Amino acid sequence: MSGVENIEPFTDGFVSALCPELVLFAGLILLIIIPNLGKGTVRIPGTQTRVMWLFGGDRFKLTSNPRLPAWIATITLGAAFVLTMLSFQDGVDRAAIVTDSGKQLMLVNGFSRVFELIFFGALTLAAFASMNRLEVRGIGPKLSTNDLYNNRRQADFYILMLTCALGMSVVALAQDLFVLFIGLELASFSTYVLVAFYKETKAGTEAGMKYFIVGSVASGVGLYGLSMLYLWAGSLQFDVLASQFVINGTDPLPLIGIGFVLVGFGFKVSAAPFHFAAPDAYAGASSPIAGILATASKAMGIIGLLRMLLIVAAPEASEDGTVWLTLLGILSLVTMTWGNIAALGSTNPKRMLAYSSVAHAGYMLAAITAIGAWNWDDSLAGDGGESAVAVLTALIFHLVVLVAFKLGAFLVLSILESDGDASRLSSLGGLAKREPFLAVAMFIFMISLAGVPPLAGFVSKLLVIMGIVKVAIGQMGAEIVAGGDLGLADVHWVWWLAFAMVINSAISMYYYLRIGVVMFFEEAEEGRSGPLPVGWQVRFAILACLMATLFMGVASDKLLEICEVAAQSLNYGWN
Amino acid sequence: MIDWISIPLVAFPIIASMILLAFVSNGTERMRERLGAPIRMTCLVFSLIMLMITTGMFFQYFGDVSWMNIAFNDYEYQTTYSWIESLGINWAVGLDALSFPMVWLTTFLLPVTIIATWNEKSGATYFPLLLLMGGALIGVFVSLDLFMFYVFWELTLIPMFFLILKWGGKDRKYASQKFFIYTFTASVVMLLGLITLYFLQDPYSLPSAGTMTGRSFSIPELIDSARSSNVGDNWYLGEQMQKILFVMLMIGFLVKLPAVPFHTWLPDAHVQAPTGGSMLLAGVMLKMGAYGMFRLPISLFPHALYHFQLALMIIGMVSLVWGAIVCLGQTNLKKMVAYSSVSHMGVILIGIATMQPMGWAAALFMMFAHGIISPMLFAVCGAFKHHYHSMEIGAMRGMAKHSPWLATSMMFAWMASLGLPLLAGFVAEIMMLIALWHMISLDGWSIWWMVGPALVLALTAAYYLWSMQRTIFEGGEEGQPPANMVGHPIPDISNSEKFAMLIMAFFTILFGIMPWIGLDMMDDWTKQIFDGLIIFVGKGGA
Repeated sequence: MSGVENIEPFTDGFVSALCPELVLFAGLILLIIIPNLGKGTVRIPGTQTRVMWLFGGDRFKLTSNPRLPAWIATITLGAAFVLTMLSFQDGVDRAAIVTDSGKQLMLVNGFSRVFELIFFGALTLAAFASMNRLEVRGIGPKLSTNDLYNNRRQADFYILMLTCALGMSVVALAQDLFVLFIGLELASFSTYVLVAFYKETKAGTEAGMKYFIVGSVASGVGLYGLSMLYLWAGSLQFDVLASQFVINGTDPLPLIGIGFVLVGFGFKVSAAPFHFAAPDAYAGASSPIAGILATASKAMGIIGLLRMLLIVAAPEASEDGTVWLTLLGILSLVTMTWGNIAALGSTNPKRMLAYSSVAHAGYMLAAITAIGAWNWDDSLAGDGGESAVAVLTALIFHLVVLVAFKLGAFLVLSILESDGDASRLSSLGGLAKREPFLAVAMFIFMISLAGVPPLAGFVSKLLVIMGIVKVAIGQMGAEIVAGGDLGLADVHWVWWLAFAMVINSAISMYYYLRIGVVMFFEEAEEGRSGPLPVGWQVRFAILACLMATLFMGVASDKLLEICEVAAQSLNYGWN
Repeated sequence: MIDWISIPLVAFPIIASMILLAFVSNGTERMRERLGAPIRMTCLVFSLIMLMITTGMFFQYFGDVSWMNIAFNDYEYQTTYSWIESLGINWAVGLDALSFPMVWLTTFLLPVTIIATWNEKSGATYFPLLLLMGGALIGVFVSLDLFMFYVFWELTLIPMFFLILKWGGKDRKYASQKFFIYTFTASVVMLLGLITLYFLQDPYSLPSAGTMTGRSFSIPELIDSARSSNVGDNWYLGEQMQKILFVMLMIGFLVKLPAVPFHTWLPDAHVQAPTGGSMLLAGVMLKMGAYGMFRLPISLFPHALYHFQLALMIIGMVSLVWGAIVCLGQTNLKKMVAYSSVSHMGVILIGIATMQPMGWAAALFMMFAHGIISPMLFAVCGAFKHHYHSMEIGAMRGMAKHSPWLATSMMFAWMASLGLPLLAGFVAEIMMLIALWHMISLDGWSIWWMVGPALVLALTAAYYLWSMQRTIFEGGEEGQPPANMVGHPIPDISNSEKFAMLIMAFFTILFGIMPWIGLDMMDDWTKQIFDGLIIFVGKGGA
C-alpha cells in the first residue's frame, strides 16, 4: 500500500483530493443563489441610477421554476457520485488533509470513498425521486403568495439534502473524533429537519420532533463521551487514541467514554435499545427521506462504530476489550431479533421497513463483533488481518447494496404516498393490477431484503455470514488436516451469531412475503383502483435501484474488489 | 466439448421466460388474453427443444459421452467459467448418472405439464413461470459449485410461490407462504452448514480456491479432498465436525424431500397448487432433496452417514408408514396423493439407509419412477377437479360410465403408484425390499424392520383401491355426479389431457418393462460411489 500524501488545506492537491466535496459545496452555494436571482435593482446612493443587482424582485422564468432546485441538487449529487466513482478508476489516491502542525484531520482513501459512494448514491436517487413528491404549483407572477411560498420550500428541502451529503462525507473522511462529530451533527441536523419537512401530515411534524429530541440526547451523550476521551488522552485523533488505548486501556475513564460515544452512534444505526425513535421517524418522514435514514444515515453510524471499535480493538489491548465484544455480540443478537419480531407485528409498511432496518443493523453489528473477535482472541489472530478484511468487505458491500433495495422499496412507497397514503398494508393492495412494474420491483426489493438468491441482498447477507464464519473457524481447517478432532465447542462463539442471522432471515421471510401477497392478490383499497400519480423521475430511480439489485446479485465481482480495497485501506496495523 | 448445458438448458429457459414475463406483465389485460395462445406455443416449443437436447445427450448424439462407467466424481459435459474469483465461486456444470436422469426428467415433464394444463387460465404468465421453474430445477441438478447450487436451490422457490399463489385453490395464500418459509428456513440452515464446510477447508489447498478467502466452492474438488481423507477410521474434517455438518445439510434436504416430521408443508402446497405446479413439485422438486443428499452429505460424509444410519432408517420407516396411514383417512383426492408422495419418499430414505449399492440404486430409480408416476397422479387429480369442480373422493361416482378416459387414466396411475409389476414404480420398490433384506441378513438387523414395508404394501393397495372403488365403479346409473353437475352433460378429459396421460403412461410402462434403460447407469453409478466411499468405513457392503 502506497504511503499517504499529506496535504495542507488549499495547497497543491487539495482540490483534486477533495473534488467531490468541493463540488457539493459549490452546488450548495449555487442552490442558495440561483433560485433568488431576479430582476431586482439597487439604487446607487445619492443618485437616481438603478443598477441591475440580480437579487430579489421578480424572478426570471427559469430561476422561479420550482423544479430548478431539485435539478441543481440532483446534478450536484450526481456529479459528486460520478467523481467518486472515477476516483476508483486507477486506485484511490491516499491523501491526508493535515493541519499546519501535521495532524491528520481527514484521510481520503478507499474506505472513505466507498462510503461517499453510498451517501451520494442514496442522496442522488432520493433527491431525484423527491422531484415528484413536493407539490409544484406552476411558474410565473400570477401565483398567489401561498403558492409562491410553497414553491420556495423546494429550495430549502434540497439545500438540506446537500448539507446532509456534505456532513456525511466529512464523517467518512474524518481522522479525528471531533471532526467526525461535526460532520455527524451537520448531517443529523439536516435529517431532523428533512424528517419534519413532510408537513402535509401530522405524523411528519411529530416524527421530526421525536427524532430530534431522541437524536439530540444521543448526540449529547456522545459528546459527553468525547469530552471524557479528550480528558483522558489529550487528543481526539484516532491513531493517538488507539495508541493510548494500548498503553492504558484498562482505565475506567476511556471505557466509560467509549460507551457513551457508542450510544451516539448506536442511535444512528438504530441498534437496540436505541432504536425506539426509528420506527416513528421512518413512518412520519416522507418515503425518500425515510430511505435516506435507512441507508446513508445508517452507513454513517456504522463508520462511527467501526472507528470506535478499531480504537478499542487495537491488537495489543486484550482482556478489557472482550467486555465490549461480549456486549456488542449481545446487542447484535437483541437488535436483530427484536427488529424482526417487531416487524412481524407491524401493519404499516413503513414501520415494517423501519423494523427490518433495525434487524439489518443487528446483522451489521454481528459483523462488527466478528471483526472484534478476530482482533481480541489470540487463537484467532493468526491470519494477518485476512479475516477482519473479509468481514469488513462484507459489511461495506452490504451497506452499498442496501442502498439499492432498501431505498428502492421506500421509493415505491413514495409513489403510493403521493397517491394518498402508504401507512397501511392494504394501501399496497392491488398494486400489481394498478402498475405491474412497481409491484414486481417491490417484490424483488422485498425478497432481496430477505436474502433470496440471486439478488444483491443474498450476496451481501451471504458475505456477512461467510465473514463471521471465517472468523469463527479461523485456522481450524489446518488443524483438522493435522489430525485434530474439533467440534462446535471449539468454534468461536461468534459462529452462533451467524446461526442467529440465518434463523432471523427465515423469520423475516414472513413479513417480506406478506407484502408480495398483498400486492399481487388483494384488491386495492376503496377508491384507489385508478392509475397511480405520474412522475418519470421516481420511476427512473426505482428502475435504477432494480437494475442494481439484480446486477449486483449476479455480477458482484467488481464491486467486491472495490469493497476489498476499501476494507484494506482501513488498516490500523492489522498486519 | 461444446457446453450443451449452461446456455441451452439453464440460461436459455430462465432468460427467455423472464423476457416473456416482463413483456406480458407490462401489457394490458386484453393483450395478455390475446397473447395466451402464442406464448403457450412458444413455451412448448422451447421445452421440446430442451427435451430434444437431453434426449440427444442420452443417445450420445452430442459428442462421445458414455453414461456408463463414469467414475465416481467424474462428470460429462463438465464446464467451468469463473464467476466471483475472490471467493472461489465458479459457474461449473456437469452431468453424471445421478443428475442426468433428473435433468432428463425435468425436460420431459416440462412439455408434458404444458400439454396437460393446456387450457389453464391466464396462460400468458402461467406458461413462462413453468419454463422458469424448469430452468431453475435443471440449474440445481447440473451445478457443480456450492454457491451456484444454493442459488438455483432457492430460485426454484420463487416461480413455485407464484404458481401456488396465483393459480392455487382457496387457501393458496396460507399454503404458498408456508411452503416458502418452511423450505427457506431449512435451506438457510443448510447454507450455514455449507459456509462452515467452506471455511473448514485447508486454506489454498484446492485448485479453484478464491483469491481472497483461499477456499473453494467447487463440489468435485471438495468431494475429492473428502474422499482422500475419509480413509479407514479417519473422518474428513474430524468426527464431531463431520456429524454436525451432516446434520445441518440433511435438515435442508429432509425438509425438501420431505421426511415425516418436516412434511407438513407438502399437503398444503400440493392441495392448493394448480395442476401444473403440483406436477412439477411432485415430479422434480421433491427429488431435489434426495438429489442433494447424494450429491453432498453422502458423498462428503460417509462416516457420518454410517453413524446416522439408524436415525435415517427410522425417519424413512416413519415416513413410509405414516404417509400411508394418513392416506387411508383422506377424503380429499389430492391430499391423498400428496401423502402418498411422502410415503414414497420414505422408500428413498430407506434405500439410502440400507447402505447397500442396490438400496441406493433403488433410491435413484425411485426418484426417477416417482418423477413420472406422480405427475400423472396429479394430472388425474387436476382433471378431476377441472371437470367435477370438487376434490372430494365421494364427489363423483361411477366415473367409468361418465368419463371412461379419466377413469382409465386414474386406474392406470393408481396402479402404477401402488407398485404393480411391469410398471416403473414396482422396480424401485422391489429393489428396495431386496436391499433391505440384504442389509438385514448381512448386518444382523432385526427381521422386524421388514414389517414396515410389508405393511405399507398392503396399506397402499388399500387406500388406492378403496378410493378407486368409490370414484370409478360405485354408483353410476342413478348417477351421483356432484350436485353442481346435475343436469349438465358430464365431460370427459380434453384431448390435450388425454395426450399427456398417454405419454406418461407410455413411459411408465416403458421403464417398467425395460428398466435397464435408466437403471443400468444408476446401478453403475451407485457401485462406483459405493466403492469410492464405503470401503473406507470398513463395512462389508456387497
